[in-house]
Amino acid sequence: MLERKDAVLLAKLTGEVTLDITNDVKRTLNEELGSGVEKLVMDLSNVDFMDSSGIGLLVSVNTRMRSGGKFFYLYNPSPQVEKTLNLVQLFSFFEILSGEDELQAAMV
Amino acid sequence: MIRRDFKANSSPRESRLLAKDVVEYLSAFIADGEALHDIDIMLTEACANVVRHAYGGKAGKLEVRLIVSPGEWVELQVVDWGPGFVDGVRFENPGPDSEGGRGMFIISRLSNSCEVRQEAGENIIFIHKDMGKSQWKS
Repeated sequence: MLERKDAVLLAKLTGEVTLDITNDVKRTLNEELGSGVEKLVMDLSNVDFMDSSGIGLLVSVNTRMRSGGKFFYLYNPSPQVEKTLNLVQLFSFFEILSGEDELQAAMV
Repeated sequence: MIRRDFKANSSPRESRLLAKDVVEYLSAFIADGEALHDIDIMLTEACANVVRHAYGGKAGKLEVRLIVSPGEWVELQVVDWGPGFVDGVRFENPGPDSEGGRGMFIISRLSNSCEVRQEAGENIIFIHKDMGKSQWKS
């Protein structure tokens, strides 16, 4: 689910982020990111399962945003997402927003 | 010892459902939710490897052979009949900017042992997970 506020895009992923959906999510995001998005926040608070395809999605989006001088944040990764990212030593690789205050600050 | 085979087509959807079926079956024996989640991740990664690499991007046969020694360990054998990728298997964690190549690393981190073999026309990922007494249902 996508919410757009000026140049900020909030993408909420829910349920399982696996090979079954990652190509579709990447395609949808790439279409949206081509229309002037300067900051992308990915809400992972309701993701209850993520595999390495999901990690690849996050890395791909991060690379695209950073290489264009733009910003990419993960918001409230669920314990399952945090565990998977820690397994591959990537949790600290991403910029993490925790809590509503940090989310609201990022949305402007 | 309990043995059970699970079969599916190696499409992304079916391979994920196959992993969930195995975990659902195991939940009758295993009480520890964290351990079940670990098994779910390992199986999903192994099955996704088959989806990506076994049949050149097309769907083919995928099988999970489950062996359980209740109170002790779980062994998972993920099998395909493609040309094989034994020589190309990497267990290292790729760099942070790499978009792929982490599946076997994740399996190796969560299991006690993991290996890939070709036997009699089958490509098999063997995953062995020891589990403590308290992780099992009594």
